[in-house]
Amino acid sequence: MLHCEKCGVNVAGKREICPLCQGRLSGNPCQESFPLVPTIYLQFHLLFRILLFVSVAFSIIAVAVNLILEQTGWWSLIVVGGIASMWLSLSLAIRKRKNIPKTIVYQVILISLICIVWDFLTQWSGWSIDYVVPILFLSGIAAMAVLTKVLSWEIENIIIYLCIDALFGIVPIIFYFTRTLHVAIPSVLCVTGCVLSLAFLCIFKGDSIWAEFKRRMNF
Amino acid sequence: MAKSKRHTGWTRLDNAAKIFPPTSDKRDPKVFRFSCELSEEVNPDILQTALDQTLERFSGFLTVLKHGFFWYYLENTDLRPSVHIENTQICTPLFDRNVHSLLVDVSYFHMRINFEVFHALTDGTGAVEFLKSLVCRYLELAHQDDFPGHAPGSGFDASNSERWADSFQKYYNPKEKKGILSPAAYKVRGSRLSENRIKVVEGIMPVDKVLALARSHNTTMTVLLTSILLCSLHSMMSLRDCKKPVAIAVPVNLRNHFSSGSTRNFFAVVSIRYNFSRNSSELADVISSVAAQLKQMTAKESLAQQINALVSMEKNIAIRAIPLVLKDFGLKIAYAFNDRSVTAALSNVGSVKLPQAYHKYIRLFDVMTSTKKLQICMCSFQNHLVINFTDSFLSADVQKTFFRTLANMGVPIEIITNPLEDEKEKS
Repeated sequence: MLHCEKCGVNVAGKREICPLCQGRLSGNPCQESFPLVPTIYLQFHLLFRILLFVSVAFSIIAVAVNLILEQTGWWSLIVVGGIASMWLSLSLAIRKRKNIPKTIVYQVILISLICIVWDFLTQWSGWSIDYVVPILFLSGIAAMAVLTKVLSWEIENIIIYLCIDALFGIVPIIFYFTRTLHVAIPSVLCVTGCVLSLAFLCIFKGDSIWAEFKRRMNF
Repeated sequence: MAKSKRHTGWTRLDNAAKIFPPTSDKRDPKVFRFSCELSEEVNPDILQTALDQTLERFSGFLTVLKHGFFWYYLENTDLRPSVHIENTQICTPLFDRNVHSLLVDVSYFHMRINFEVFHALTDGTGAVEFLKSLVCRYLELAHQDDFPGHAPGSGFDASNSERWADSFQKYYNPKEKKGILSPAAYKVRGSRLSENRIKVVEGIMPVDKVLALARSHNTTMTVLLTSILLCSLHSMMSLRDCKKPVAIAVPVNLRNHFSSGSTRNFFAVVSIRYNFSRNSSELADVISSVAAQLKQMTAKESLAQQINALVSMEKNIAIRAIPLVLKDFGLKIAYAFNDRSVTAALSNVGSVKLPQAYHKYIRLFDVMTSTKKLQICMCSFQNHLVINFTDSFLSADVQKTFFRTLANMGVPIEIITNPLEDEKEKS
């Protein structure tokens, strides 16, 4: 047992200085009661910062070049917009990385929104809601269907899947009936896929879904 | 195929527990730890067996926290905790919104058995009952010759339904009480340890010496130690700091006033305030103020009013109808607002009692908790009183003043701290 004269206390462990006053200790060291847990310097923080710096530098240089060559139009805004969208998508993916169905859903919705905004800003030609949105939605549903089987998901993930099915099915239908589409085929395919998987889920997992739903909605 | 979801048991969170999931983060994961130091090295295999057997009687700890649309709830799970050597920092986060994992963790290091639990599951009393049962079972298995036939056990005999009862609901009596806005309190400041580490400084001292000291000041142990804590904080404060009151939050075990065998949360928090710019800083004066405040705030009527105020909020239809996402946001703000009126927290778990047969194998019990501020926890076993300071600051000035004061009053103290890498840089 070690002893600190100034504080008038005994000190257990293998210290060289008193933990209270940092003064000298006398006596014999003994066993520690807590392990020493080393700090981890997060390596990928450095990689992350390098990536961020490269993106910011690229954007600044693009804007500078654009200012010099003003006559070529405001293409630098597209560059900045693209880089910002990529970072948005990446940060969302990292935050939700532990929860795969939510990651898929958030990414699909985010990328669809980005494409719609892009389309809107570049003289609306409709390519986003004609092709991108239905194809993304359909891929999202297909990915969830495959993962449900492969990873044997629990019931709450299946419920999320169900709600997403419904949402992804309704949006193209709205576009179809408000006649904003120029090409109908991808949207029709998307809605078909949604309804099929909805039917499958309701028929085969209906009662589990209902029990879980009642639990979640507990007031 | 997993069994149908219809049959998996679940239960709501109790009233006090509802604050913990939204306010738990990396800096303060709202996890607390109970430890038991034995007089011999821990055998991990026996500990695992003891854990499996103890959990059969505490099945409510085998749950995961999930979120519904309106409220959080606990759902039974098939996951089982595995005993492991202590190799992570103290009070690591146990609740993650994105992952459904157990809310308890049992580890060991040399002669200590550690039990860490997320506060939403239980409070100090519930956790200590579990640890007592675990330790008793472990000792019965490790020393079978000393416990032939029917072992005495930890003495906790509540039935399963009594253990998982929500005692807040039981003692709720619809009444109104207006809340009072608390003034901002003095905040301890300083450089913090890296990576949200917690610094532990605990002092082990003989109970009889401290009780004698309290008697010589005509007061109880809790009041004496709270007063010494206030004076220790005062010694660090500048004249400007003294303008704000020093506030110590003290959780009160409601089971001492309202009968309950519940191992879930059943506590209320009272705040002891002392303004050093308006009052004397002599220990005797601080003691009388603290004693008066404590007596008034722990009167049964005052506590009953607090229970009613808390539960009535939970039962309010307008509040129930708010989606959980918004409730979390509101609770975070309310908690942060309340937090600014607290300097430190002092939690006295009290005396841990076990049948005589187990005493020769156990040296002491210890309790500590995660915190963003300064937290003091104390408990005693036989003649060992353990006062445990946890915080995330580099310096230990409050602890130094506190323990020096007690040492100067003639109390022999043994200091234990956790080794930190930052310490080596300091010297």
